[in-house]
Amino acid sequence: LLNSATSRLTGLFRNVVGGKALTKHDLLQPLAQMQNHLIEKNVAPSAAARLCESVERDLLDQKTASFTSIDATIRTSMSKALTRMLTPTSSLDLLRDVTTTTSGPSARPYVISIVGVNGVGKSTNLSKIAYFLLQNQFRVLVVAGDTFRSGAVEQLRVHVRNLSELSRRENVGEISLFEKGYGKDAATVARDAVTYATNASGQGQGQMLFDVVLIDTAGRRHNDTRLMSSLTKFGQLANPDKIFMVGEALVGADSVAQARNFAKEFVDTKGKLRNNGVGMDGFIISKCDTVGDMVGTLVSMVHATGIPVVFLGVGQHYGDLRGLNVGWAVERLMR
Amino acid sequence: MVLQDLGRRINGALTDLTRAPTLDEKAFDGMLKQIANALAEADVNIKLVANLRKTIKTSVKFSELPPHANKKRIIQKAVFDALVDIVNPHQKEYQPKKGKSNIIMFVGLQGAGKTTTCTKLARWYQARGFRTALVCADTFRAGAFDQLKQNATKAKIPYYGSLTQTDPVVVARDGVEKFKKEKFEIIIVDTSGRHQQEEALFGEMVEIQRAVQPHQTVMVLDASIGQAAEAQSRAFKETADFGAIIITKTDGAAAGGGAISAVAATGTPIVFIGTGEHLLDLEKFNPEGFVSKLLGMGDMQGLVEH
Ligand SMILES: Nc1nc2c(ncn2[C@@H]2O[C@H](COP(=O)(O)OP(=O)(O)OP(=O)(O)O)[C@@H](O)[C@H]2O)c(=O)[nH]1
Ligand SMILES: Nc1nc2c(ncn2[C@@H]2O[C@H](COP(=O)(O)OP(=O)(O)OP(=O)(O)O)[C@@H](O)[C@H]2O)c(=O)[nH]1
Ligand SMILES: [Mg+2]
Ligand SMILES: [Mg+2]
Repeated sequence: LLNSATSRLTGLFRNVVGGKALTKHDLLQPLAQMQNHLIEKNVAPSAAARLCESVERDLLDQKTASFTSIDATIRTSMSKALTRMLTPTSSLDLLRDVTTTTSGPSARPYVISIVGVNGVGKSTNLSKIAYFLLQNQFRVLVVAGDTFRSGAVEQLRVHVRNLSELSRRENVGEISLFEKGYGKDAATVARDAVTYATNASGQGQGQMLFDVVLIDTAGRRHNDTRLMSSLTKFGQLANPDKIFMVGEALVGADSVAQARNFAKEFVDTKGKLRNNGVGMDGFIISKCDTVGDMVGTLVSMVHATGIPVVFLGVGQHYGDLRGLNVGWAVERLMR
Repeated sequence: MVLQDLGRRINGALTDLTRAPTLDEKAFDGMLKQIANALAEADVNIKLVANLRKTIKTSVKFSELPPHANKKRIIQKAVFDALVDIVNPHQKEYQPKKGKSNIIMFVGLQGAGKTTTCTKLARWYQARGFRTALVCADTFRAGAFDQLKQNATKAKIPYYGSLTQTDPVVVARDGVEKFKKEKFEIIIVDTSGRHQQEEALFGEMVEIQRAVQPHQTVMVLDASIGQAAEAQSRAFKETADFGAIIITKTDGAAAGGGAISAVAATGTPIVFIGTGEHLLDLEKFNPEGFVSKLLGMGDMQGLVEH
């Protein structure tokens, strides 16, 4: 690592070595450069190191193609490794999931909650998801589960008011806010909101009132054990269909510990991790518009947990939410 | 910040070196490499890490050290000095004066902790006998004014903002004028989060600055920021010429190397650090103390006097 001041993937190793069996020695310096390159793209050093180790394993004793360089061989192999890692093993079709859950004889509201550390963009990206669901004609209940931070409830109230106007104007969906003010236990508020949306014992044959319940939560440090452990109770009481964690593209090496520590809080009453042992269902990588090519955070978080990226936040407006295009991400990382 | 962790690794590298059977140039290079790795893992900008490595190497001049020199101590001191040099740009921060209106404007990336910190700072000055007020010039973020209002109310600090005016320049100017007229001594202006990629947002920052003529512009940086810290802080420096940095969320687990790189890139002193979500979670920053703590050693304090 850091053998030279410049770590750009320049032509240093452009020597053509077609048909050569690669040794550890051949790979040492170009891999060190690759590792620096990834770190410069804001991939956590630990993740960059392990990716380079796996590329080394792939390439050792392999013959390079004719008319190619070690450099190019490593690049190709790294692109493949990144693509493999970032491509989710099972596809998440949120809209289809919501439709299935909210229709038929056992219909019930679909519950999504958003978690993450302070200021990463939870409330904003929750509002973007609400907008996306409205566009698809769903009825959305937004839950002010951040009962701590000043202005958190009013922030959501403004978003719901804006979105409600939008949906009226465009004649799509329907949105309301469920809030109990400040100081209340978030897990209880969330559970009550789900009960309210389900309306099982309510008027009019107990028709459910909303299709999707979107629960905001307070930001918390992942090294704050008290606040972190309250997520476990939250997960159990609100019992969300999906728990999405917002990771911020600006964050550096800490993203690894953020992802791991949040994931491990979501256990059921028997102590088993949700979602087949990975804890959460997906990452939303926010503020991608603020980092240029340095989109390494998404690599760090996926690498640390195996949890896929479901959305990217690319701005501060309701429409600024994208799905992950793996090719786009890899191209930026390797640029 | 888990400074201790970085400190422990740097110390570990130093100790390994002195325990090495032969304390030669090769062992020295190995130690430099270990330190470089530790710094990179702490989010220190990768180019800065390479430069630090060179600085330490040239200042120690290993091959020229006399045989009986206390090598460990010389190397320790070189590492210490190089690190202090980064966080101590020898720039004096603005000193507010009593009996006049001192205007302080906050800028920074989205979600860095500006709104929270401006109330903390207002309370800090208030506790030291200044008449202090807050102006909310964030008309963009949903609930921004409510957030500031609720914090200011808790801290018993007068505030100004508008629920109807959408131009932050107008709100900032009106608020500052009002408090100036009322002879407030510290007037802190909170602004929306912004980033270099969006020109219009940077333009707005310049306009607010022109309207309120701050004596001090403060950039707020999140301790967890990674490699983007340098480019963003440079862009803020070029556009808003901030004279002080506050690092927030140092109670988190991030090592803070990104924020430190921003200090190095802009030659601007850190004046305070945020240590939690509550009003009183603000500490004055001291570079030597910081690095001593970073290196986790009392005996480092002794080196400062040299
Ligand atoms: N540029 C950019 N800004 C964003 C994005 N997502 C959120 N933000 C901004 O980031 C800031 C913080 O967003 P919030 O949604 O309040 O963050 P949060 O995680 O809910 O914060 P807390 O509840 O205080 O922990 C706001 O200024 C948002 O406008 C994004 O994708 N791009
Ligand atoms: N743990 C911790 N959290 C902090 C600290 N400072 C701010 N926060 C939290 O960080 C989040 C964002 O803080 P804000 O003050 O809203 O950030 P901002 O820069 O004003 O955000 P925008 O106006 O949207 O750009 C909130 O949840 C704060 O409570 C700190 O020192 N420690
Ligand atoms: Mg929030
Ligand atoms: Mg703010």
